[in-house]
Amino acid sequence: MDFTFNETQQEVQKLANQILSDMSTTQRLNEVDKQEDRFDQPLWAQLAEAGLLGVAFSEENGGMGFGFMELCLFIEEVGRTVAAVPVVPVIVSAALPIQRFGTVEQQQRFLPKVASGEMMMTAGLTEALAECPSQPATTAKADKDGFIVNGSKIAVPFAHKAERVLVTARTDDGIVVLLVDPKAEGVTLTRQRSTAHEPWYEVAMENVTVSADDVLVTHEKGEQAARWIAERTTAAYCAMQVGVSDFSLKTTAEYTCERVQFDVPIGSFQAVQHRAADCFIDIQCLRLCTYQAASMLDAEQAARNEVLIAKIWAGDTGHRVSYAAQHLHGGTGIDKDYHLWRYCLWARQIEMLLGSSSMLLSQLGKKIAAGEAYAA
Amino acid sequence: MKIEFTPEQQALREELRAYFNKLMTPELRAEVAETVGEGGGPLFWQAMEKLGNDGWIGVGWPKELGGRGLTEMEQFIFVEEVMRAGFPFPFLTTESVGPILAEHASPRLKKELVPKILGGKLIMGIGYSEPGAGTDLLSLKTSAKKEGDEWVINGQKMWTSLAHHADWIWLAARTNFDPEVKKHSRISIFLVPTDSPGYSCAPVHTLGDVRTNATFYENVRVPEDHLVGELDMGMMLIFSQLNRERLSLVNVGAFSNLFNEVTDWCRDTTLPGGEKMIDQPWVQMNLARCRTGLEALKLICYRQASEMTHGRLPMEDASAAKVFGTEFFVELYRRLGEILGTSGVLHRTSKGAILNGRLEVLYRTASIITFGGGTNELQRDLIARGGLAMPRAKR
Repeated sequence: MDFTFNETQQEVQKLANQILSDMSTTQRLNEVDKQEDRFDQPLWAQLAEAGLLGVAFSEENGGMGFGFMELCLFIEEVGRTVAAVPVVPVIVSAALPIQRFGTVEQQQRFLPKVASGEMMMTAGLTEALAECPSQPATTAKADKDGFIVNGSKIAVPFAHKAERVLVTARTDDGIVVLLVDPKAEGVTLTRQRSTAHEPWYEVAMENVTVSADDVLVTHEKGEQAARWIAERTTAAYCAMQVGVSDFSLKTTAEYTCERVQFDVPIGSFQAVQHRAADCFIDIQCLRLCTYQAASMLDAEQAARNEVLIAKIWAGDTGHRVSYAAQHLHGGTGIDKDYHLWRYCLWARQIEMLLGSSSMLLSQLGKKIAAGEAYAA
Repeated sequence: MKIEFTPEQQALREELRAYFNKLMTPELRAEVAETVGEGGGPLFWQAMEKLGNDGWIGVGWPKELGGRGLTEMEQFIFVEEVMRAGFPFPFLTTESVGPILAEHASPRLKKELVPKILGGKLIMGIGYSEPGAGTDLLSLKTSAKKEGDEWVINGQKMWTSLAHHADWIWLAARTNFDPEVKKHSRISIFLVPTDSPGYSCAPVHTLGDVRTNATFYENVRVPEDHLVGELDMGMMLIFSQLNRERLSLVNVGAFSNLFNEVTDWCRDTTLPGGEKMIDQPWVQMNLARCRTGLEALKLICYRQASEMTHGRLPMEDASAAKVFGTEFFVELYRRLGEILGTSGVLHRTSKGAILNGRLEVLYRTASIITFGGGTNELQRDLIARGGLAMPRAKR
């Protein structure tokens, strides 16, 4: 039983924190918000330069050769700074599956360039009203050595900049995981505006051809692969939510120590302290459940219940901490000249991605009913 | 970051589970149910002695004190399993007061009491609260004054739980009466034998059918070396003891078991209309909420046990565990109770009682846990101060 981070993990944490807090300042985020896309290119390049984008890639793939846990610690820091960098969709949802399931040729074609920051990838895991990538409505039909794809994905970050969009689709013979070229014939990208201002696209696919070299997983292995991807993406968003919530609370505690009303800091009032203390507890629960899920995924252990539970906490904690932070800040919290508003948006976006708390509670309930989720 | 027991610890858990399956005979269970979790009956004491003789009570204690020399983690595993088994283990004596006593009591008393604690022969009552001093413990009035080589104690304590089974009281009394001295530097801890002349104990019957006590001290005389630790610095011991107590209070073992038993009951139960209880969406939702909280609580407990093996127990973490755990239990009992519905409010002795009527008792006894061991408001103050550097609230 070890709840501490080893030296490597601490170094990754420190390095990520240093780069992100140096470069992703409120001023910088304000500048980025004036761009068409909320994307901090120099920061992305710096993260690549430092080796962080490839932290969980093997050395052959241009990475540092560490694991999913290290990657999650990096992502927690992204959450802490709400930096304008799409680490989760690019690295976790698209690149890691290529490393895990792709051929050597596929890995070599994409991963070194992703690690160096030259190439973007993304994933379309969500469909309208279908949060689970292992049960897509999108269809694929075998054609020559590849597939013809029809369907539509929503909330696909940075699809316009991506070399490939990882999608799941159903076939007569199970789920397939494919890499779709967003410039291919039959693909229509339509910009969507997400609450956190992340550039999102609807990726509509009409008779899109995916050639054999862009097929990642097929047949009986497809559904399992789709779950593998969903679980890791979910755990990564939980880690991001840890950072988002933790910073929101810290900044709230500091603010209430400075804000004076009735001649005393409002942070000296018990009513204020107790709301903050409840957030502290919520974050502790989220943090521990997230680290547990991430460390189990890192070791390639079965962790479906643990991931579900972590995401339920991510939804609940994100919601409660965000509203408490806003509330305790009063008007200051909603002022866009102050930094808290972005945290509120990210907390909400992460809360809803890949299954809300209620939806996942219902899934967990079914697993309990099936005798698959007894308490340890 | 590896949230798993070692193979040895896993083996220890299994050994303990088998051990308790044997120890918890139907007769012992019946006696325990009759005394609502407080123990004290003849079979209870037999089982305690067996636990002591088999070396379990001190599994994580150092060898020189008579323990097995394993770590806090093994000690935690033992407590988790003893709770899972439903045995009314006097964890306040063994887990909370015990280690502080072993560190700070005079050599003579340490030599006398530690073997009794680890041998399962001693329960300690805790005398902190008074009629006029609960959360504001620093204002307690019970006094101890030195006369020759004896301390003379006068006053009254409230909620001295288990005093009627206890041979000793771990007592907080005021020893410094200088008005200039700060409130937290005027209290000391004493070990008071319950057979001392001038000591008396009167029962207080509670909502949960658990007996607690008022204890009275009228010119009770104890030898000099019954003072524990440094004179006037008892609050330090009280803080350490309460920190440990807070952890013991929220041990997850018993509650995982309860959750699993209710789940099994739902899986085995068919409603009059022919549907299974477990297939009701609201039942699944209640169970899922309980399961989600249990997982977090389990991790909080494991982390703290792991931190304690490294000698760390930050105040805000102990307080967070206490607040979350106790408020979650109240919620857990409610949600599991909802599933049993009307049958869930049947007393265990009644026809039709489910799961031995445990949820009927638990929601009644649960009303103590959010204020016992330090009220949750105070815990939240400590979290805000220790964990978030917020200023001390005016009182």
